[in-house]
Amino acid sequence: MAAGTRTGRSRFTLIFLLLSSATLLTLDARDFEPLQRTEETLTDLISPLQSGADRVLGPVGDAWAGVTGYDELEAENQKLRDELQQLEGQQILDSDAAVRLEALLDQVGLPYVQDIPNVVGEVVTANVGNFDRYSVQINRGSQDGIRNGMPVVTRGGLIGRIDGDPGRGHSRVTLLTDPSFEVGVLAVGTDDVALASGTGHGGPLTVTKGLEIDTEVAIGQEVVTSGVDRSRYPPGIPIGTVTNIDFDEARLVQLLTVEPSANTDNLSFVTVLLYDPLAEES
Amino acid sequence: MNATSAYIRSALFLLTALVLHMALFSDLRVLGVAPEVPLAIAVTAGLVGGPERGAIAGFAIGLGIDLYLPTLFGLSALIYTVWGYSVGLLEERIFRSAWWINVLVTAAATAGGLLIYAVLGELLGQANLYTDRLYVVMGVAAAYNLVLSLPLLGLWRWSWPRLLGEEL
Repeated sequence: MAAGTRTGRSRFTLIFLLLSSATLLTLDARDFEPLQRTEETLTDLISPLQSGADRVLGPVGDAWAGVTGYDELEAENQKLRDELQQLEGQQILDSDAAVRLEALLDQVGLPYVQDIPNVVGEVVTANVGNFDRYSVQINRGSQDGIRNGMPVVTRGGLIGRIDGDPGRGHSRVTLLTDPSFEVGVLAVGTDDVALASGTGHGGPLTVTKGLEIDTEVAIGQEVVTSGVDRSRYPPGIPIGTVTNIDFDEARLVQLLTVEPSANTDNLSFVTVLLYDPLAEES
Repeated sequence: MNATSAYIRSALFLLTALVLHMALFSDLRVLGVAPEVPLAIAVTAGLVGGPERGAIAGFAIGLGIDLYLPTLFGLSALIYTVWGYSVGLLEERIFRSAWWINVLVTAAATAGGLLIYAVLGELLGQANLYTDRLYVVMGVAAAYNLVLSLPLLGLWRWSWPRLLGEEL
């Protein structure tokens, strides 16, 4: 009898919890605001605990990454050495890469990115699960002026955008490696606005639309955000450099492979550009 | 031990596990795969506490981790609830488990839970879940949770010290 009662109660509990989960899923899919506010409040409540634990346990994670990623680190070191050599060679031709970039941007009339108001945020949660390799959470939110869709950069260039409505003190950044991430770009020195998209963790970006077959693009050419009408990204943010060029004869377009200039692994601080294309337009 | 103290212990255990997962375990990656601590929590709760406690623990830890995942809020809670309940039911009716069976069940349930998560997530419109990499994630996470299962089973027994025949 007691076992029967217990089974009945556990079935009732299961049904109750399943209905609750289904309700939450439905409300979240419909962007139900009170639920989002509750999520934000809960995240804010847990956040001090998490920051404390991060500070204490962060070195353990770093040490682990050092041990398990040794081969990767060695390969990266080699790559960096090669790049350094290339840069040293480049330096002979051009003493200041930043001046060169600025000059190139000036040539196509792009304003300098640093004129845009911005907020620096610390990455507080990166990849907590095995299915969220393309997003990180930062400790800046709506109270800092951050809104959905704003571009996020590091010194290397664009790394992603704010995804969804931010909480008061935190927001989620979708990284440009996300296969669903798309950004309007142009190769510096050309006028064709093309669409670049992510190809997954550690992969390059690909440009498959918009670049006409007769547009002159070279390997090594810089690619920046186009900032065309109503684009959510301002013009001139570095995206990367062209590493491969292919041609789609059927569609008469060029297909580019672009190596991102900003590293999206092990992010610690990022800058959110408080850029509102509609405000800029008005 | 009274019911209140058992609930407090369970809540503390769940909160600590959530924070540790985010601050430590999610960084301990092999082949880019981290242990699935929340899923292991749900499964081991079912193994130690039976279907009802498995479902409640799965729901609670699922909601906690959903706060930090870009997927729909409630997806992990839904799957972990079902998984905690099912494993608890199997344990009660079939396994009557030796410790090594519990360990193997945790690993197998981890792999199965991840597969269900990816399939259900894709059906609900979430991108990048069911990919070629899924089977690597399932294998490595199952191996990780196989190792983690013993301490987690011990911690659940600490949270619910006198379970057999006792209603909390």
